[in-house]
Amino acid sequence: MFVSRRNKGGIIAAAAIAAAALVTSALPAHAETGVTSSTIKLGITVPLTGAAAPGYNKVPAAMKAYFDYVNANGGVNGRKIQLVIKDDAYSPAQTLSVTNDLILKDKVFALVGTLGTANNEATTRLVNSHGVPRLFVNTGFSGFADMKKYPTTFPLFPSYATEAKAMGKYIADNLAGHKVALIYQDDDFGADALKGFATAGTSFVAKIPYSALSQADPSVVGKWITSIATAQADTVIMFGVTSATGALAGGLYKAGLIGKVQMILGSVGSDGTTLKGLLGPLAPALAGSIAASFLPSPSDATDEYVNLFKSVNAQYNAGAAFDNNVLVGMNSAMLTVQALRAAGANPTRASLMKAIEAKGSTWASAAFSPILYSAKSHVGYTGYWFGKLGTDGNAVSVDGPGKYTLYTTDSGTAPVVKSSPARTAMPAKGLPTN
Amino acid sequence: MTTFFNTILVGISSGSIYALMSLSLVLVWRSTRVVNFAAAGQAVLSTYLGYEAMSRLHNYWLSLPIAVIAGALISAIVESFVMRPLAKRSKGSPVESIAPVIATLGILGLIRGIAGLVWGNTFLQYTSPLSSKGFMIGHTTIPFSPLNAAIVIGAAIVLAFFAAIFRFTRLGLALRAASFQPEISRLSGIRVDRIRTIGWAFAGAAGALAGALVTPTTYLSPNSLDLLLVSGFVAAVIGGLESLIGAVVGGLVLGVGFAFILQYIGSEVTFSAAFIILIIVLFIRPQGIFGRGGSREA
Amino acid sequence: MKRKSPATRFLISLGVGAFLLIASGHVDELRAYQGAQVAIYAIAIASIVLLTGYSGQISLGHGALMAVGGYAAVIAQIHWHLPYPLTFLIGGIAGALAGYVLGIAAARLRGPYLAGTTLALAVGLPSLANQFHILGGEQGLQFDVGTAPTWVGKDFTQYRWFFWVAVVMALAIFWLLRNLLSTRYGRRWRAVRANPTAAALTGIDIAKAKVLAFTLSSAVAGLSGALFAMLLGLVAPLAFTLTLSFTLVTGAVLAGVSNLGGSIIGAIVLVAIPELSNAVATHLGGSDRVTANLPGVVTSVLLIVTVLLAPNGPKIPRRHK
Repeated sequence: MFVSRRNKGGIIAAAAIAAAALVTSALPAHAETGVTSSTIKLGITVPLTGAAAPGYNKVPAAMKAYFDYVNANGGVNGRKIQLVIKDDAYSPAQTLSVTNDLILKDKVFALVGTLGTANNEATTRLVNSHGVPRLFVNTGFSGFADMKKYPTTFPLFPSYATEAKAMGKYIADNLAGHKVALIYQDDDFGADALKGFATAGTSFVAKIPYSALSQADPSVVGKWITSIATAQADTVIMFGVTSATGALAGGLYKAGLIGKVQMILGSVGSDGTTLKGLLGPLAPALAGSIAASFLPSPSDATDEYVNLFKSVNAQYNAGAAFDNNVLVGMNSAMLTVQALRAAGANPTRASLMKAIEAKGSTWASAAFSPILYSAKSHVGYTGYWFGKLGTDGNAVSVDGPGKYTLYTTDSGTAPVVKSSPARTAMPAKGLPTN
Repeated sequence: MTTFFNTILVGISSGSIYALMSLSLVLVWRSTRVVNFAAAGQAVLSTYLGYEAMSRLHNYWLSLPIAVIAGALISAIVESFVMRPLAKRSKGSPVESIAPVIATLGILGLIRGIAGLVWGNTFLQYTSPLSSKGFMIGHTTIPFSPLNAAIVIGAAIVLAFFAAIFRFTRLGLALRAASFQPEISRLSGIRVDRIRTIGWAFAGAAGALAGALVTPTTYLSPNSLDLLLVSGFVAAVIGGLESLIGAVVGGLVLGVGFAFILQYIGSEVTFSAAFIILIIVLFIRPQGIFGRGGSREA
Repeated sequence: MKRKSPATRFLISLGVGAFLLIASGHVDELRAYQGAQVAIYAIAIASIVLLTGYSGQISLGHGALMAVGGYAAVIAQIHWHLPYPLTFLIGGIAGALAGYVLGIAAARLRGPYLAGTTLALAVGLPSLANQFHILGGEQGLQFDVGTAPTWVGKDFTQYRWFFWVAVVMALAIFWLLRNLLSTRYGRRWRAVRANPTAAALTGIDIAKAKVLAFTLSSAVAGLSGALFAMLLGLVAPLAFTLTLSFTLVTGAVLAGVSNLGGSIIGAIVLVAIPELSNAVATHLGGSDRVTANLPGVVTSVLLIVTVLLAPNGPKIPRRHK
């Protein structure tokens, strides 16, 4: 038939080898999967190739750099942290394939910083069935805080709904009477944002949805610009990824609308250095744009976390430009180290998740917002501050350098509260001692 | 009304790019009866070479001809080393019309992979000194910039150049003869193989120009010209796949059509619309707007 | 080799199936997943082989037909609450309907025209999901076929169960196709592929034969799309990319386009290439760049070499004439 004799032989041989492997691996376990006496193995999936790669492809290297820094200073309870990095090209099918490798072949202890909403969705069944902790996922989809559906998942970023509500409040306070247009990615990401703006009561002269990745098509961008012009908007919110922000800025420049239309950028799409790379000589077009962030500005020389991460980046991350992606990666890595320490001398997957629920809210992190982890909630950050992008592409707080006003709220109907940020001080040399 | 005219302008800008890619496909089709799916890959590779030239010479206008010549060479190499041997081997077999499709897909994948290995899978900027800022009419800026104008002019020059060659030169006659009557051409002393390679080289040059002109309006990555291939093909079919002027008109029609679909329906349906346009054209007027009869069975 | 009767084939399928299902209990989960992947790819590649190898048509858009099948199956589950074996059937039927419409257009086109048209389909169709909210947008829709039923045994992993489902479906499909191809339909298609003019002279309605082949091929592709959705647990536009369509054509060519059984080999190669080139890249101390691009380079070179050396597909002895 259609399996030749030789192939059958191959399958039998493969089965025999696998069976042998199964027997050896079924011996009583001395330690948790992915943990040996000298190492802890973690895994991450991100787009390293394809249209979504630029910018995000810097996150894993930054995490690895921080882990290397901790490893060089004794590791976690004597164990060195290893990070296995897999490319998924932003395709959910690919994410599932490489996550299978991470969990079943590389046998990682936990996943950290896995990127993309649909991508994390596609691996949920696998992650849940193996009880693999999935820490600090790189997506703001508020659904991942649902502990029934995603018991092992810990989102970190404030949700897109939170961001939209904070942005709505900022506009109501500072830009009342302006004609605002909204461009958003037409998926759960954008739907979350629409929900937030609706709660905040923000009204728009134009709502322009676009499908993910279509921003690469110049005629799509042409449509945004004509829609903005037709609605005579003087303010435009971009709720999309970095390449969409780049496309919008380029489009506004081409239409001679820079300076006439105020751009407001979501945190997902406002990384300065990536935008500079995308826009080339048009980069100054972004100066003056308002951007929402939860981490401090990468250019803030007065921030202790930023300075530490910068020096770690210089020493361990082979010449990578220091930007928001590096900051995000290192911040998640620092939280990961604290989680691993808190999981005990012989960490298990269960003890790791328990530790985050019990103590996560007290840990040091660069963000100004408190962390809300508890046994009842997997919601991470909840607040944003607003800054203006300078010509170098980095945001400076609208209240002046180093002064931040935090807009805190939830994904639901709670009001937006303005406050001065308070965060846990950084441990000495950025090496957690919790 | 402003929106209406702006939409047409947006359409003409993108339509000129489709037209150049469509020209590239038509030139290959005319010389060897092959639709070159590797055209997007060849154009990306020549654009990367233009990018390299630019980063060394710091002059876009010098890098442009380098990219175009590189494009012609790449295309000639593909024809000589893959397509010609393939045509000889598959001649008369049931897969004669399918094998080239598969081979060009393989070349597309190979070039993408090589570009990823050499230049990485990030976005690179290949910038033109021409402004992408729209012209001013009175106090309003129209969505048509010097860069767009260069693309339109580029397409026009290429069209005129090839039209002149086909109409007025012996080479043009040989090109036409070699594609329609290879055996008779061979008997009358035309070196068919060499003529076909020249046809491919011309096509590669047109594609390279498309890549080098369009990339400054977006960015460069191993996949950045993939969608252009689909648009170029649809444009070529609208134009009849045989006719140079048809390729250009097809490109413009498609560009304006896309712009209106985008403006009034949404970005999600553009390529489905391309598919439907394709089917309609193939059913109603299989020879395309400028084709001269005959069916698509050729 | 002597032609086997449908009953003999059935017994052989049964034997192979029983062997694979028992074997699945002795391999780890990753191999079970890859086994399921091979079975699903094999069905999808068979749909191309059926089309190209037996009726001489080409499609660069079968990824889109898989999407049709996948989405239909998921919608059948979400909105009609059908049990999942029936949703696979719905996937196949939806694929057939789409294929019939496409086949009418396709029968008028040949080679490059058909390739380009189906290419436009592959690019355009998946993004339609963003236009209609019932299709779940960019995020897609979740598809849950549940865990293994208790009667198959305790501690039955999810992937082992998927492997079972996929293998049973694959064997059923191959058995059906094999039998179909030895009927007069199969002979007609081969006649049309080998020499359309001669076929027409013998009274074969070429257009009809082609449309039928396209419809059947699309039904098979639709079914494999439903199985693909099962494995992923969701359908989303990003899951049915142009790359998927190209991958299927690659698998069919590597398998030898005129050999249905070769589909299995093509599928194994497709699953093995990323794994092998990953190992090579790691061995070379490769950067991310090498790891990310090597599989594409290897596949493309294989494709070019195969088509150059054997435009008709590798010379595998045809055992089922």
